[in-house]
Amino acid sequence: MTASNEYRFQVNLSGMIQILSNHLYSSPKVFLRELMQNATDAITARTEAEPGYQGEVRVELTGTGEQLTMMVEDNGIGLTEADIHEFLAMIGQSSKRGQQALLDGETSFIGRFGIGLLSCFMVSHEIVMLTQSAKGGPSMEWRGKPDGTYTIRQLDTQLSPGTKVYLRCTPDAAHYFEADYVKEALFYYGALLPYPVTLHHDGVQHVVNNETPIWLMDPALARSRRAEVLAFGERLLGEKFQDFIPLTTASGRTGGIAFVLPHAVNLNAKRSHRVYLKRMLISEKAENILPEWAFFVKCLIWTDELQPTASREHFYENEKLEEVRSELGDALRKGLANMAESQTERLQKLIRLHALSMKALAVQDQAFYAMIHRWLPFESTRGHRELGELIDEGETLYFTSSVDEYRQIHHVASAQSMLVINGGYIYDSELMMTLPMTVHNLHTERLEPDQVSMSFTDVPPAERNQYYDALRLADSALQRFRCRAEVKGFKPSDLPVLFTLSQESSTLRALEKASEESTELFSSLLGSLSSGISSAGYSTLYLNVNNPIIQRVLTSPDDQMTPIAIEMLYVNALMMGHYAMNRQELEVLNQGIVRFIDWGLRGNTDRKGDA
Amino acid sequence: MKTEMDFEELMDEAYGLPNGPAKLGMLEEAARVADVNGMEEEAYEARSEIVETATFCGYPMKALIAFSWQLGKFDQQPEEYDEETLMWSYKWILGKLSSFPEVSRDKMMELLEDFGQRFKSFGYSERSYWYYRFRISMDLGELEEAGSSYAKFRTMDRDFMSDCEACEQDEMMRYFILTGDDEKVLEMAKPILKGRMSCAEIPHLTLSEILMPLYRLGRTAEADKHQQKGYRLIKGQNDFVRSFAEQMDYLARTNPAKGIDVLEESLVFAMDNEDPFAKMLFYGRTAPLLRRWADESPEYRLRLPASFPYEGDPGDLRKLADYFAEYARAAADKYDQRNGNRHVSSLLG
Repeated sequence: MTASNEYRFQVNLSGMIQILSNHLYSSPKVFLRELMQNATDAITARTEAEPGYQGEVRVELTGTGEQLTMMVEDNGIGLTEADIHEFLAMIGQSSKRGQQALLDGETSFIGRFGIGLLSCFMVSHEIVMLTQSAKGGPSMEWRGKPDGTYTIRQLDTQLSPGTKVYLRCTPDAAHYFEADYVKEALFYYGALLPYPVTLHHDGVQHVVNNETPIWLMDPALARSRRAEVLAFGERLLGEKFQDFIPLTTASGRTGGIAFVLPHAVNLNAKRSHRVYLKRMLISEKAENILPEWAFFVKCLIWTDELQPTASREHFYENEKLEEVRSELGDALRKGLANMAESQTERLQKLIRLHALSMKALAVQDQAFYAMIHRWLPFESTRGHRELGELIDEGETLYFTSSVDEYRQIHHVASAQSMLVINGGYIYDSELMMTLPMTVHNLHTERLEPDQVSMSFTDVPPAERNQYYDALRLADSALQRFRCRAEVKGFKPSDLPVLFTLSQESSTLRALEKASEESTELFSSLLGSLSSGISSAGYSTLYLNVNNPIIQRVLTSPDDQMTPIAIEMLYVNALMMGHYAMNRQELEVLNQGIVRFIDWGLRGNTDRKGDA
Repeated sequence: MKTEMDFEELMDEAYGLPNGPAKLGMLEEAARVADVNGMEEEAYEARSEIVETATFCGYPMKALIAFSWQLGKFDQQPEEYDEETLMWSYKWILGKLSSFPEVSRDKMMELLEDFGQRFKSFGYSERSYWYYRFRISMDLGELEEAGSSYAKFRTMDRDFMSDCEACEQDEMMRYFILTGDDEKVLEMAKPILKGRMSCAEIPHLTLSEILMPLYRLGRTAEADKHQQKGYRLIKGQNDFVRSFAEQMDYLARTNPAKGIDVLEESLVFAMDNEDPFAKMLFYGRTAPLLRRWADESPEYRLRLPASFPYEGDPGDLRKLADYFAEYARAAADKYDQRNGNRHVSSLLG
C-alpha cells in the first residue's frame, strides 16, 4: 500500500467530548474529582522530583449568577508548553486508541490530565487554565471550548509553579458551584488526601480535610481509637455506626475499615462500599471489592494496587481484584473470629442484627460456622433460640426442610416434646445438615412429616383388631385420594387426625392439580412423569385413638356414616394444613356438609315427631 | 411464627431471598394461599416466579408442574396474561425435558412442535425452535440430527426471544464435546474464555466443561486455572450439579484431594437435586474419584450429609464408590432405554 492510500479518520472533537463527558461518567459531579485528581497527580509528580515538598490545593468560588466561577489551584509540577501540546495530542488520539486504552491504568500523567479535564465541559462552556512548570519556561494560558477549539498563549507575567483551572458555570450546573455543595464534595472525594485542601468563599477559608488519621496507614491502630474512627465513618458514610472491623491485606497496599451496619439488611441489598484509590475517592458504590456475603458492613477502603475502569468509578474484575477481595474477606472473617474468642457479647449483638449474613457465610465456610454456630438463631419447637442453647439440651436435633413441613408437624412434635427446628427459612436446613460435619459429637436428623409417627404410641394388636371394620371402611373411602388410614395414639388428644404427606405424595398432589388445569399435551406429559414417582406416594391420615370423636367413629363403624365421616376428617385436615384441594376433594367437602346438615335436621324433626 | 402470612407478605419475603429452596418454599406457599382463596391472577404470578426459581436451583420438576398449570390458564384466557414471559419459560421447560427418563422421545417431539407452533403464532423468530431442536437432539444422543439443526439455527435471525449469545455459544461448544472434537471445543470456547460473551450462567458452565478437553490435549496448566476460577463461580450453588460433576471428573485425574473437597461441598446439592440427569452425572463421577482417593488415602472417612441414605460404612471408600456407580448405572440405563441408544451410558465411560 502506498502512502497516498492511507487516510486518517476525521475526528469530530466536539463529538468526542460529548461522548466522553456524557457517557463515560455517571454524573457531572465527577468534574470535581477529575480536577482533584489532576491536582493530586501534579503534586505527586513534584514530590517525586523534590522529596519532602509540601503540596496543597486551593479552591476558590467568586462571582454570582452567570459570573459564578470556580478556580482550582495546585502547587504541583505545572505544565510546559510542550506538555500542553502533548495533552492535547492525547485527547486527539483517543479516537485511534479507543477511550478504554487511553484511560487504562498507567497512562502518562499528561494523558490522564487531558481526559480528566474534558469532564469539566459537563458544567462549563469554557475552561481556562493557567500554568507554570516547575521546570521553568514561560507561564502559559490555555483556553478550551467544548466545540474542540482552543487557544494557547504565553503570559507576560511569571506565575509561581503550579496550575490553576477556572470554570464558569453553565446555568444547568449552578448547583455544583454552591459553596456548601463544593465543600461537601471536596471532603467526599478528598477526605483521605495527604495534603490540605482549602475552600475560599466570601472571604472565608475552610479547611476541607483534617489531618490524615494515623490508622489510615495501619488499620490495626484503629482498634484503640474507636471513637475517632466511628466519628470519621459517620461523617464520611452518613450513618451512625457502633462497631467496625479493621481490614488489611498482606501486601499492605489495600486497607480499610468495615463498619458494621446498625440495621438489618436485605440479602439483595446493593453492596456499596466507598473506595479510595491512591487516596482519591474512586467509587462510593464499589460492589465487587468485597465478597458477596459481606453485606452486613459498609466499608471504607483505600488501595493503590487496583486498576480502575475507564470511568474510574469501578475496578476491573481481574486476578488482582480477586486476590484483594479474598484477602479483605479473610480479614473480615478474622475480625469475627477474634470477637468469637474474646468478645462474645459484641459478636452476639452483631449476629442478632445480621443473622442472615452470618448464616450465608456459615454455609460457605465450615470453619467459620464452627466458630459462630452457637449464636445463630433458629426457630424450633422450643421457641426462637440460639443454636448453642438448643445443642445444650443434649437431644437429637430434628429439622424439617420446609416451613410447610414444619407447620404440618410442629403441634404434634411439641406435644411429644421432640426438639424440631424449622429448616424452612433460608440457609437453615443446609446449616442443620452440615452441623454434624462442623461440630463433633452432634446428631441432626432431617424429619419428614410422616416420621413424626415415630413418637406415636402404637395401639396394641388386640385393640387394633377391634377397629378392623372401621379401618377397612376408612381405607376404602380414602383410596381414591391415594391416602390410607392408620390408628395411633398421640398428643394432643383434642387433635382428631393428623394428615402427613411425604415428599413424593406432595409432588403427586401438585402434579394432579396442575394436570387438571393444563393443556392436553401437558397433562399427558405430567401423566408420564407421575408414573416415575414411586408408590411411596401415599399420604397417611392418622386417626388419634385418644380423641373421643375418633373413638366413637372407630368403635361403632357404620357402612353409611363412617366413610363420610372419614372423608370429612380428611378434607378438614387438608384445610387445616392449607393444602389446595382438587376437584374431587372439593366435591367431597360440599356434599359432606350438605349431608351432615341434612342428617342433623332430620334427627331434629324425627325427635320433634316423637314428642 | 410465620405460618399465617398472606399472599403479598409471602411474595415480598420471597422476592427478598436469593434463588434457592427457601425462596421456592415461600413461593409455593404463596401459590397455595392464592389457590385456596381462589385468587387466580396471584396464583399465576406466584407460579411464574416458581418456574424461574425452580429452573435455576435444581428443581426442574417443580418448574414443569407450575408451568403446566400456567399454560392451561393462559390458553383459557390468553388476553389476561403476558405471553412473552410465558413463552420464555417454555424454553426453560424444553431445556430440562430430556432429564426425565419417563418422558418419551415422541412426547418430547410433540412438545417441541407445540413450542414451535406457539412461537410462530406470536411472530417470533424460528431460531428458538431450531436451537431447542438442536439441544434436545444432543440430549438424546442423536448427533447427526443435532448437526443439521445446528447448521440451520445459526443461519436464522436472532430476536428478543432467542437465548443469549453466550448461552448459544456454550451449547454449540457442547456439540463438539459430544462429537469428540477437542480442538474445536476450545475454539468455540474462546470468546467466552476471553470474556467477550457472558451472562448469568456463562462462563460458569463453560469453565467446567472445557476441563476434560484441555486435559486430553495435555494442557493441564490452563485447565487448572479454569478449574479454580470456575469453581469459585459455582461453589455453594445448587444449580451447578453438572458442573461439579465435570470438576470431579477432571480432578479425579489431576488432584483427587481437591476433588474430594468438591465432592464434600456439593454432595448435598446433588442429593437434593430434582434433575435426575445432573444427579446421575454427579454420582457417576463420584465413583472413580472415590476409588482414586482410596488408593491415595485409604484411611479417609468421607463426610456425608446427615440425611444421605447410605447404610454402609463411609470409611470404606471402595464400597461407597460402588454405591455411587450403581446408582449412576441404573439411572443411565433408563435413559438408554428411552433414547434407544447407548449415548448416556457412554457419557459415564
